[in-house]
Amino acid sequence: MITSRRAFLKTAALSGASLVIGFDGGRLLQATAAGVAGSFQPNGWVCINSDGSVVLTIGKCEMGQGVRTSLAMILAEELEANWTRIKLLQAKPSADSDLGTGGSDSMASSWKPLRQAGAAAREMLITAAATRWKVDRDSCKAVDGAVEHRASGRHLDYGSLVADAAKVQLPQNPPLKNATDFKIIGHRTARIDGPEVVSGKARYGIDVKIPGMLYASLERPPFLGAKVKNLQEDKARAVSGVKSIIKLPRGIAVVANSTWGAIKGRAALAVEWSEPPRDAFDSDAHWKKLETASRETGFVTRKEERPPGTGAITKTIEATYYYPFYAHAPIETMNCVADVREKRCTIWAPTQAPERLQKQVAQLLGIAPADVDVNITLIGGGFGRRLAVDYALEAADISRAAKAPIQILWSRADDMKQGHFQAASVHYLSAEFDAHGAPVAWKHTKAGSFHNISPLDPKEMRDAAWYQDWSWGCYDVPYAFPAIQTAYVAVDLPVKHGPWRSVFAPSSVFARECFIDEVAQVRRADPLAFRLEMLKGTDVIKAGSTTVDRKRLRRVLETVRDKSGWTGTSISQGRGRGIACNAYSGRTYIAYVVDVSVDHENNIHVDRVIAAVDCGLVVNPVGVEQQMEGGIIWGISSALKGEITFHGGTAQQSSFADFAVARMRDTPAMEIHIVHSDAPQPFGMGEPPVPPIVPAIANAVFAATGTRIRRVPVRPEQLKQRVA
Amino acid sequence: MSKIDFTVNGARHVVEADDDTPLLWLIRDNLGLTGTKFGCGVGVCGACTVLENGKAVRACQIPASEASSRSFVTIEGLSPDVSNPCQRAWLQEEVAQCGYCQAGMIMTACGLLQQNPDPSDEVIANVMSDSVCRCGTYSRIRKAIQRAANEMRTKKP
Repeated sequence: MITSRRAFLKTAALSGASLVIGFDGGRLLQATAAGVAGSFQPNGWVCINSDGSVVLTIGKCEMGQGVRTSLAMILAEELEANWTRIKLLQAKPSADSDLGTGGSDSMASSWKPLRQAGAAAREMLITAAATRWKVDRDSCKAVDGAVEHRASGRHLDYGSLVADAAKVQLPQNPPLKNATDFKIIGHRTARIDGPEVVSGKARYGIDVKIPGMLYASLERPPFLGAKVKNLQEDKARAVSGVKSIIKLPRGIAVVANSTWGAIKGRAALAVEWSEPPRDAFDSDAHWKKLETASRETGFVTRKEERPPGTGAITKTIEATYYYPFYAHAPIETMNCVADVREKRCTIWAPTQAPERLQKQVAQLLGIAPADVDVNITLIGGGFGRRLAVDYALEAADISRAAKAPIQILWSRADDMKQGHFQAASVHYLSAEFDAHGAPVAWKHTKAGSFHNISPLDPKEMRDAAWYQDWSWGCYDVPYAFPAIQTAYVAVDLPVKHGPWRSVFAPSSVFARECFIDEVAQVRRADPLAFRLEMLKGTDVIKAGSTTVDRKRLRRVLETVRDKSGWTGTSISQGRGRGIACNAYSGRTYIAYVVDVSVDHENNIHVDRVIAAVDCGLVVNPVGVEQQMEGGIIWGISSALKGEITFHGGTAQQSSFADFAVARMRDTPAMEIHIVHSDAPQPFGMGEPPVPPIVPAIANAVFAATGTRIRRVPVRPEQLKQRVA
Repeated sequence: MSKIDFTVNGARHVVEADDDTPLLWLIRDNLGLTGTKFGCGVGVCGACTVLENGKAVRACQIPASEASSRSFVTIEGLSPDVSNPCQRAWLQEEVAQCGYCQAGMIMTACGLLQQNPDPSDEVIANVMSDSVCRCGTYSRIRKAIQRAANEMRTKKP
């Protein structure tokens, strides 16, 4: 269910029957009959009703990361709420809201405001009870959705206290619980929406149906600048249920009274597009461009130099790594319902970026953002794809022309060909050794592309911090080389591209974690022991704009070493063991030991993954495990399955047949070890599991076959023929 | 347009549709049962799986013309109270992440267990590898199927 502030408050605070506390970045707000009108503009709020139910309205969207459950857990803990009485609603964006979900930031950014809101409500309820009983408030305690006064055995349910509590002064700095007293946070908690999912009742974007809604399918230009040469408009019109054919700059929409009518009508159009120009985008040509760019100096994002006179360089190694285009390929394809009326518009969208969506739809329609009412639905897989809002703009455009509410649904081929792809990049790395064979210098240049989900701000200062933002995993190399130089070379990319689970980290961490193995090989060192050696020295280091705690990174490495029974990288003929680690934004630390086997046709199977994670304070261990398992499977897809290639400006793949992803038969045995953390707060888990898994697999393949993997996905023909 | 006369979750329905309309869209658009999901439309992802006589079938691959006089069960018809052994096992093993593919996964698993009450890991992997979960919940799906199989076997006299 979705709610607007106005509708919600009418039935809540204004009636005086509920206690309503809102929260945004740093402050708490109370909705009261007097103060609600203009000043109550939070990103989320909690409402405790007179029937004892607790309704938490959150801005963060649910796309599988379990955020609805973990946010509710944080609130319930401080509120001392009865877990079974918690309900969730989805907030809507507004001019100054910040509901975007991405960057693995929900836990870190919601932790403090949610705790404060819960604690404030708890304290107000205790004060209300103590006042009613005329007892010292310190003798009252909140327990399981009620306030109790042990001495007299009295007990009042929250519901019966809310009217009084709403009149108590809102405390801005309520006392927070000690972590040792947590009863919900840190405990395995079932997903709050689990029963809806397994009964088919959970409603995703595709499931939205509103009265009078028509269905649309859009035939898009296959490449930039493609023109329609021919189309069978009459044949499309003859398809039963087809209502209209709408020609827009973004494509030709077929609108029908059923999904199938729209799909069939679009096929009947049999659009013939113009031939792509000779210089249309081609991934082979792009690889060459990236390769050349990777040899440039680029923008230096980090530079640390050796003290002068510390010995000559006697050996240098270098390598080039290639990371391809990938689609997000969530199972729920892009879709959106738009209802455009005179000067206003209502949208139902599975979106990670409601404010961007609101602004861009408003701009398209020439109306104010406040007149675009955005309803965020459950999301059938986000992975960053739904930070772009192209599908919502299409829906609004078609609804405006059709003068009716419409649902646009992308086919699987649309989803593959019109993705905002993970952009390919090439990484050029080198390492230098002194006369004693000690590794003394590390260089990593990334040639890649930004994103085009929204225009870049031309006024932004393009300084080192800005470029670092495009090269996580490259500039923040945690290893103790006396000299370090990292750089970024931007290469234009004329196809849609954007954030993809872990955004800019996977390619850089792949290159870095494989090349550190190459450095270890020169040293004839065990790659795991070598990493630990290179993480000695100062524990907390400033790596570019990120702070990395090497102690936390060492600890996850030591954990996988001990849990995997690590004795080196060799296992047996045709099998190998690999290691990789990463500190994600200096926040979440993960290491993997991966065992692979390679058969006589050079097919690779990941047999076992031993993982260790330190994501700070753990809110829901189940959620952490799920994200780790999912990240590992995501990485197996990237390392061993499909990639996107372009020819004639068009992505060549169109289904799970030619863009393969991991399936159950590809699933390894997995052990997830959550390492006790010193961090006092939680960090994200959606993205961090992804970057180090691909290099751990690649390093294991090297151990099994003797072939360095510098390009993924690995193809059997890449591997040296093994002696049978 | 033809009259399609078919049964879903025990209820008989007569709908007007083009002969080539996939059963998936009859279920979703005509009957409003949205638990059955669209994922690929070409039978390679499993999101639209429903049951027919205990066998898992792909609703996107059955044209309306062939659906007449047949009887199907969707996720909504599996149980009124989330009591089907697979549904319960799915909750106990905390399978779902985004949950979008899980209706298809559960229906595929129900079909498998009807045919083979004691499937080996290899059989489970073979059957379930026809379905895609992009969140990567496969290891939990495997455990949930084993749990449901155990429960179904021990309950039988």
